[in-house]
Amino acid sequence: MPRALVLNRSDNVATLIDSGKAGDACALQGEASGTIKLLSDIPFGHKVCVKETAAGADVLKYGQLVGKASKAIKPGEHVHVHNVESARGRGDQTRS
Amino acid sequence: MSATFLGYPRENGSIGVRNWVGVISIMDNCNPVTRAICAAVEGTLPITTLFVRGQYGRDLEITYNALAGMGRNPNIASVLLVGLEEMTTEEVAKRIRPTGKRIEVINLQPDGTINAVANGTRKAMRLAIQASGVRRTSCPVSALTIGVECGGSDTTSGLSCNPAIGRMADRLVDDDGTVIISETSEFFGAEHLFAARATDEKVRKEFVDKVVGFEQDAMKMGLDIRGTNPTPDNIRGGLTTIEEKALGAMAKAGTRPLVGVLDYGEAPKRKGMHFMATPAPAVESMTALAAGGCQMIFFGTGVGNPIGNMVSPTVKVSGNVNTLRSMPENIDYDVSELIEKGSKVTDVGDRLYVYALEVASGTRTSSEVLDQRETGISRFGPTI
Repeated sequence: MPRALVLNRSDNVATLIDSGKAGDACALQGEASGTIKLLSDIPFGHKVCVKETAAGADVLKYGQLVGKASKAIKPGEHVHVHNVESARGRGDQTRS
Repeated sequence: MSATFLGYPRENGSIGVRNWVGVISIMDNCNPVTRAICAAVEGTLPITTLFVRGQYGRDLEITYNALAGMGRNPNIASVLLVGLEEMTTEEVAKRIRPTGKRIEVINLQPDGTINAVANGTRKAMRLAIQASGVRRTSCPVSALTIGVECGGSDTTSGLSCNPAIGRMADRLVDDDGTVIISETSEFFGAEHLFAARATDEKVRKEFVDKVVGFEQDAMKMGLDIRGTNPTPDNIRGGLTTIEEKALGAMAKAGTRPLVGVLDYGEAPKRKGMHFMATPAPAVESMTALAAGGCQMIFFGTGVGNPIGNMVSPTVKVSGNVNTLRSMPENIDYDVSELIEKGSKVTDVGDRLYVYALEVASGTRTSSEVLDQRETGISRFGPTI
């Protein structure tokens, strides 16, 4: 069974410390326990959503803001560049 | 009793963890001669640069100071400067002279490269023989300045190697040593946590201004920095945003107060935890750390980054089991037990501190033995 670490109770993501396959039950460790069913394949070191996250909502890891959800993310979904936006160094969003 | 290591005492009271003759190119067009001399003389270290010629103002000052700073580094017993002509060579020489270490000079004008290699080889040979007479002696760890760096980061970095390095940094600060963390952009999103550790408002403001100013400079390009930082290999390793990367990167600075903010290549004036403003790429950042006097660099890596600094032995630390399996020759210290066995960061970091003193006493690193070393002084403006 793949394992994932939750670093802070407020986090909505956990970091996989094994690779996981769609349908796997993933064991949560650290600041959470229980299992979560993976909705897609997730590589080693990548993140899985552990709490329902609305589009535009904060993505929290270490109890800190690491980005904003660019679309709604369900528990068990892979969380990465396809559904999280950074708020920093965004010269592309500034207007002259 | 405070911890000790076996180091090389220098004229100005500083302590080297290595004992090389530094052969320093004053500008790009001298590098082939520098390399030829180093190939001929054992115990020398080639310290090269790609600029100086055409630089002016702040950039030229940064380059001169960085070249001289590597010459001043306590790991360098004596220096041979390889220049094109006298005036620029003297600019570097005069910045090394206050250390009291022996300085020899050759210039390519007017006698040409064949004579320069021959004369430089004779001078370097004498320096190497003289340096070999210096003996290691017991020294307090308070003489150490360690740079903390990361590269080829992934999500294991913030969970394993960086916190272990952070614990080691805390131990060194508690023993009255000095630590420098660099890589300005890798505070984007974590700067509020580090700023809160500043000893006073002046230090706090200097730090925040460096981070915010660097971000504003980057944003003038009108681009999203994602893809450059985090890099493609960071993203493949699971890091999604610069904020996530920064929160993991900051772990290598431990928990002690921030006492000072340094410019690129600037040496600390006091003990304790410092921040140095540098670009994030490892070669540029580590060059600045070595110029600032770091005798060693501890380098956390996730997906694996093999490069080390020329002057400052670089210890690669990883907690990624896949990287430890796939590129073991490039990792000096395995901290994967933090993730695999849930070991305590304090225990693993304390053992890493013991290992740091072994490296300081002479145990060599993989990037030294495999000669995976490079120098690169950052350039902030154009040459003309």
